[in-house]
Amino acid sequence: MAMFSQNPTMNGPNYSFSDTPRTKAPEGAREHRFDPYTDNGGSTLAIAGADFTIMAGDTRLTSGYNINSRYHPKVFKIGGTTSDQHDATIALSVVGFAADGEALKERLDAICKMYRYRHGKPMSVKACAQRLSTILYQKRFFPYYAYAILGGLDEEGKGAVYSYDPVGSYEREQCRAGGAAASLIMPFLDNQVNFKNQYIPGSGEGHALQERERKPLSRQEVETLVKDAFDGAVERHIEVGDGLQMMIITKDGIQEVTMPLKKD
Amino acid sequence: MPGFDFSNYNRNAALHARGVPLPKATSTGTTIVGCIYDGGVVIAADTRATSGPIVADKNCEKLHYISPNIWCAGAGTAADTEFTTALISSQLELHSLSTGRKPRVVTCMTLLKQHLFRYQGHIGAYLVVAGVDPTGTHLFTVHAHGSTDKLPYVTMGSGSLAAMSVFETQWRPKLTQEDAVKLCSDAILAGIFNDLGSGSNVDVAVITSEKTTLKRNYIKPNERTQKLKSYKFARGTTNVLNEKIIRKEDLGNFVTVEEISVAGPGDQMEVDA
Amino acid sequence: MEFGTSGSLNEDGIHVDMDRLKKGEVNLGTSIMAVTFKDGVILGADSRTTTGAFIANRVTDKLTRVHDTIWCCRSGSAADTQAVADIVQYQLGLFAMRNGKPPTTQTAASIFQEICYSNKDRLSAGLIIAGWDERHGGQVYSIPLGGSLHKQPYAIGGSGSTYIYGFCDSNWKEGMEEAEAVAFVKEALKEAIKWDGSSGGVIRMVVLTAKGADRHLYLPDSDYKIRHAT
Repeated sequence: MAMFSQNPTMNGPNYSFSDTPRTKAPEGAREHRFDPYTDNGGSTLAIAGADFTIMAGDTRLTSGYNINSRYHPKVFKIGGTTSDQHDATIALSVVGFAADGEALKERLDAICKMYRYRHGKPMSVKACAQRLSTILYQKRFFPYYAYAILGGLDEEGKGAVYSYDPVGSYEREQCRAGGAAASLIMPFLDNQVNFKNQYIPGSGEGHALQERERKPLSRQEVETLVKDAFDGAVERHIEVGDGLQMMIITKDGIQEVTMPLKKD
Repeated sequence: MPGFDFSNYNRNAALHARGVPLPKATSTGTTIVGCIYDGGVVIAADTRATSGPIVADKNCEKLHYISPNIWCAGAGTAADTEFTTALISSQLELHSLSTGRKPRVVTCMTLLKQHLFRYQGHIGAYLVVAGVDPTGTHLFTVHAHGSTDKLPYVTMGSGSLAAMSVFETQWRPKLTQEDAVKLCSDAILAGIFNDLGSGSNVDVAVITSEKTTLKRNYIKPNERTQKLKSYKFARGTTNVLNEKIIRKEDLGNFVTVEEISVAGPGDQMEVDA
Repeated sequence: MEFGTSGSLNEDGIHVDMDRLKKGEVNLGTSIMAVTFKDGVILGADSRTTTGAFIANRVTDKLTRVHDTIWCCRSGSAADTQAVADIVQYQLGLFAMRNGKPPTTQTAASIFQEICYSNKDRLSAGLIIAGWDERHGGQVYSIPLGGSLHKQPYAIGGSGSTYIYGFCDSNWKEGMEEAEAVAFVKEALKEAIKWDGSSGGVIRMVVLTAKGADRHLYLPDSDYKIRHAT
């Protein structure tokens, strides 16, 4: 019950809550190994619309019970021609271990820039998504501890969201929540974006009841859902809060919005 | 048999050895503080209860009653702080009845430390004990292993560092009641905003020789933000697979029903005159 | 009580459980000492109490009265040493009432030893007992971790003591004057506090003579030079 210490030798909360509990070392052996990973908390969210994609993340960076930063962005523009990425068309969000997330972003950004230099055109989201998978799998046995989501517009101009596990397994999806509060946000998204568990009232009896039909949400509706999802997560997850960063990707470019969240 | 029930101990130890994790207790990863002033003592607490990284209760009570003039702030395992303070409160009441004197803070502190020491830290109660008795104003901390400290200002819980930083920079001798309440609530606010284990509201209790004033939710700096949209579903959105209605008169077929008349003036429980 | 299998075997084959105190206990990572001088004894201690890296109390009183002129210095677990001292204080109080005279320092030390030795597998308490009595004058007894009892002209203990073995060995003298002995204790503790990270805060002393107990307090603000009121 040491709640005062960040010292890993004590039984208190370690640098991260998702650390596996310390098991007793085998008889006589005293394990003394450096753990290169930390869970820095936080949550991300991405929703694809008909002609836009919204990527969002909170801006809190934590370790254990401490707040390391109240403004540490988790969503990045990727593959622009300048340092301020004003002409970027793809966004990447990362949660998990902040240092790995940063390294992964830098790596993917450099690769996208090289692609543009060699081919004289920006990378498509589809190609970028495949490349990101490769980057992650290259480190299969010393993974980037990062849950990445890639967002942009596909060749037809439709919103595209690709979500990844830390070793490169990926999938194109309509929406995805990642990080600490993923398990809190994802069911909300299933219900409100894909209308899961919603039936049309009076359309039948028992199992014959008709499911509510999916229709693409407007940009305003999605922005509302994202804000409400994070407000909900902040109420019940201690690692989520401080600020909400949102990137709206349209054919006109990427617009960035930040707004405050609760700070306790 | 009095005391704890250990009948599941061997079964749980066997399960644990096979890798079944222990159930997670609700912990009040907390900020609690106390401060003596000229004429009394103030204790304060945040109101967040957590289970791992999830907020289990957004507005729980961490200030516990011991006797009219002694109150406790509790950190650590929620159940342990609750039951330990209730147990000692009961013992102290009986002791006070048999001696015919008002309970003393040192008595409370000694009962707590001896109880906690007997259980060698397995009862995870970290307490701030405060009160005013015929011998004066007192403030103690009691740790789960049974050690105690006596200080003019104290902090405990995961937010103790954040709170102590406020005391160590702002505290001065001979505070007024208003200053002490302000200092304590500022210390709790530091915990609420800088420690993830603490959050929501500030509870304050002011104890003087005359009376105790409990200021529940003295500061509410974290009101829930309004949702941008209504998530009300149209009636019938959830499919009903089967339906069964039990009428009130048929309730007797399922449970024992007894009609109880409302107690009249003569039926009231006997209490001390 | 379960016995841990961690820690190390020492050369005698006795298993020493190193992890016993590491479960988040309140720790007195301490510098304590007691010395005899011409008219009695002086006990001295720093004032730091820690839980891990957090200083739970920076003005702790580690010098505990168990009878009018018998006191002890506590090191190790705060909970264990407080519990032991409370029991001994009760026993000595009873002793004095039944016999109509105060107990000797030796009696007190024996009671301490009995508790520390018979509960050696459960306690982490390093104690120094010092007292003045009519028959023997000032005496110092040391009870380290296992529960053995050692009568000594002076004793040092706690994590900070390792830094001052040399200092004490070269500077301690038999039959010092009070002022000289106070200066010796103060200089020794100053060094221990300087080098030991787990020791710090103020220096507290208790002088036990025929005249009773006299408390001293020295603050780091004045480089431990000025004696403050307690």
